Amino acid sequence: MDITLLQGPVLVAVSGLILLLVSLTHVAYLTYAERKIIARMQQRLGPNRVGPRGILQPIADVLKLIQKEDIFPATVDRPIFAIAPLISLVCAASGLALIPLWERFVLSNLNVGLLFILALSSLSAYGVILSGWASNSRYAFLGALRASAQVISYEVAMSLALLSVVLMAGSFNLQDIVKAQMESPFKVFLIPQIVAFFVFMVSALAETNRVPFDLPEAETELVAGYFVEYSGIRFALFYLAEYFGMVVMSALAVTCFLGGYAGPFEVPGLPFFWFLIKLYLLLFFYIWVRATLPRYRYDQLMSLGWKVLIPVALLNLFVTAFLKLMF
Amino acid sequence: MGLLQKVLLLEIWKGLALTLRKLLLERPVTIQYPEKDKVIPKPGFRGRHALVRDPQSGDTLCIGCMRCARVCPSKCIQIEYEVDPEAKRRRIVRYDIEALRCVYCGYCEEVCPVNAVVLTEFFEYIGFSREELYFTKEKLLQNWDDFIKTQKRPYLNPFWKPRGYPERLLPAKKRAFTGV
Repeated sequence: MDITLLQGPVLVAVSGLILLLVSLTHVAYLTYAERKIIARMQQRLGPNRVGPRGILQPIADVLKLIQKEDIFPATVDRPIFAIAPLISLVCAASGLALIPLWERFVLSNLNVGLLFILALSSLSAYGVILSGWASNSRYAFLGALRASAQVISYEVAMSLALLSVVLMAGSFNLQDIVKAQMESPFKVFLIPQIVAFFVFMVSALAETNRVPFDLPEAETELVAGYFVEYSGIRFALFYLAEYFGMVVMSALAVTCFLGGYAGPFEVPGLPFFWFLIKLYLLLFFYIWVRATLPRYRYDQLMSLGWKVLIPVALLNLFVTAFLKLMF
Repeated sequence: MGLLQKVLLLEIWKGLALTLRKLLLERPVTIQYPEKDKVIPKPGFRGRHALVRDPQSGDTLCIGCMRCARVCPSKCIQIEYEVDPEAKRRRIVRYDIEALRCVYCGYCEEVCPVNAVVLTEFFEYIGFSREELYFTKEKLLQNWDDFIKTQKRPYLNPFWKPRGYPERLLPAKKRAFTGV
């Protein structure tokens, strides 16, 4: 099937549905992979009860969470409480539509795709802070405050890191960025922009509230952080949003730094092969970091963001701009 | 070194290398009891109580000296005996151990001069009521039969000759004992 034929709205809807289903399975099995890999790193077995080697565990989890009662505590602000997880999920997941998964498969080829993804990831902080506020609970509120402060400060570093990429590619369009990488001498922006990549990865960890920057949901201090009052399917939506965030951030890193769907050679019949391999590598990195590092203290997190990452990213941006001017 | 170490995140890479090594090289240490792995207790594990059945008489070896009942810290052993006038011996009428009160200290088997009472190495037992874990003399003898079937003969429980206790101070029967 030639995907360039997807011009009409129906076909876009169909491919969007396929993308949604595929990414949902990916997210579901990302939780499984995370549990398994972390277990092995800690010399445990991980889930092994549901199906062979626990392969059906994510499905069982989803079924369980759907069956659970959707509790609204008495003091919550009901409409906002109900809508916050949706905001979180939609903002986290819709970034995938802009990622060029293949030369001929981009759901929406915006010419400011990168900006749009950044905007979406900032918007997902609204889901977090609204849920924390509407929950009317100390833990949730503290978690939400932390999350918003963290997301806002790391957003700056992340945008600066991505700006260097934009400077090199000369475009905000993600498809163009991939093409610019294919034409660049190293084939990927990872090598000339290693500093930006580092800054991006660290800020992506913070942006998705992952260990070692999982302060918004610091289990030991805040129980679960901003979604402490949630249960059932709404809780699952927050969970989904977090993992979708991981996937989108990894996909963005693949697109902007690792050459997107381009690979060293063509794999016949598997157009998404290289993209997926790179994506899985980065997702593994997320899990790997989670299994290894302890949580940062809040002041350390802030000083890392403002005193290290932003200056480094700025410096990198200036050097990139300078070199771009010279040559 | 300090600055370079910080810039290159050496400590973090070390940590990451450790977890990667664990992932790739090490096996899980989880014991999947009871589906896959069997747990075999070490000799001297203090499990379900039993009264050793005398192979000759088919009855307990107990002579009714009451030492076990006296030494028991939780007082869960109750013994009743009557004196047989012909043989001039005590005959055990009742020997009860309330397993739910037992603390499994093993004093009773250490103190028993004839090695009649024992905490077997059998540990997979349950009860749905108090009565099921209230071991009477018959049940205790039955416990012994169930346990000794699974053991190599002669069987010698380590607590019958406690470690570090001078052999010459043991009662005569305990000293000469080589197993059942």
